[in-house]
Amino acid sequence: MDRFEYSKDREATNAARAHALEALLIEKGVITSETVDKIMAIFATEMGPFNGAKLVAKAWVDPAFKKLLAEDTMAAVAQMNFPTKGAGAEGEHMKAAINTPEVHNLIICTLCSCYPWPILGLPPYWYKDPSFRARAAREPRKVLGEFGLDVDPSKEIKTWDSSAQIRWFVVPERPPGTDGFSEDQLAALVTPEAMMGVAIVKPPVN
Amino acid sequence: MKLQHYLGGLEGLDPISLETRVFVEAWEERIFGIHTAMMALSRQLDLETTPSTFNTEWTWADLRKGAEAMNPFDYFKFRYYEKWLGGISGYFVARGYITQAELDARTLTFRSSPAAMPKGGDAAVDARVRTYLMTGDDPKRERPAPPRFAAGSAVRVASPKSVDHTRLPGHLRNKIGVIDNVYPDAYTYLCDTGVDGIGKAMPVYCVRFDPNDLWPGNTETNFTFYADLFEAYLEPATAS
Repeated sequence: MDRFEYSKDREATNAARAHALEALLIEKGVITSETVDKIMAIFATEMGPFNGAKLVAKAWVDPAFKKLLAEDTMAAVAQMNFPTKGAGAEGEHMKAAINTPEVHNLIICTLCSCYPWPILGLPPYWYKDPSFRARAAREPRKVLGEFGLDVDPSKEIKTWDSSAQIRWFVVPERPPGTDGFSEDQLAALVTPEAMMGVAIVKPPVN
Repeated sequence: MKLQHYLGGLEGLDPISLETRVFVEAWEERIFGIHTAMMALSRQLDLETTPSTFNTEWTWADLRKGAEAMNPFDYFKFRYYEKWLGGISGYFVARGYITQAELDARTLTFRSSPAAMPKGGDAAVDARVRTYLMTGDDPKRERPAPPRFAAGSAVRVASPKSVDHTRLPGHLRNKIGVIDNVYPDAYTYLCDTGVDGIGKAMPVYCVRFDPNDLWPGNTETNFTFYADLFEAYLEPATAS
């Protein structure tokens, strides 16, 4: 088969192979028949972007917390009573980049797909895409434009390449029109895209 | 040189994917879960032993080594979790947990008719996986020596021989940057990368680069590039 051609039953074969592997690993005692489902349940309910959204909402209403998040991210996360108690796999050392009227932050990983699991869960496909990883390093404004985000030329863009053991995320700016919102109402506005810097948090639509 | 190490700045690529899903096919969750279980059951972790028959080491470094060893055309051709499926299946065959014939035969079975998954296993295995996810694997250690560089120092990025796995982004090799932040303590890496230089505990720095030094005349304005780099990848900027 030509290198650039996909087999016609690409996805059916992928699915069959993944299930075959899982079945064999269960039979051979490597994992149990519950292992994968239990892992997925943790990412659905305990380690996910719902945690990051709470962090951002708290930072918006509590300036002292926002300052701590910027200066000692792990100490701030530890105050949140997340299931991982302020650590967790792929979140042992996290760092927040705070957006301001002068600076827009963008997180990338040019070597792989490093992502802060305990507060953001698992990376979406756009983040893992080699084209994004390559282009965001050199032409972030153009890339953000493709996401529908035009960053004013007067605003500095800082791109952070997660190439060592620190897992980065962005604290976006609080949108207008949210005066008097509770932390829960604010958290509901925050997306994973905003917490990695390819979006901003939009004002609520009413 | 491996293309996978040099993605930063590559030109001529497609518009950005706007796919916000984590998994685009249901089977991708299965291979992700298998990988995560392997990391959690990996033998070097200081966690309670379980009845799992998994008795070798598997970390991100092993997964990344596989991706970095791929033909670069295949790297771009296959979707993210397709690469995982290939690398992880290959590992289980290479380490003798399963045979390729078994895997192929079972794949055919699942392909031809829906088959029930086997049931069973010891709950202690899943308990360890949960413990790993909740506590992680802290790479931070005491500093074996004071950091070589201070915030504000100019540094030149080293260019060690290309090996099977690195955490040095290729677009930064030989470039001059400025130390923006010296992280507290020291960090180990998941494996020893040999002449590439990382593995044992060493300081890690956030280094600031002018994108115009990285891609002269071919980048954007009012933009700063930062990368976290292990000390082994840095030299004083004055060194020739």
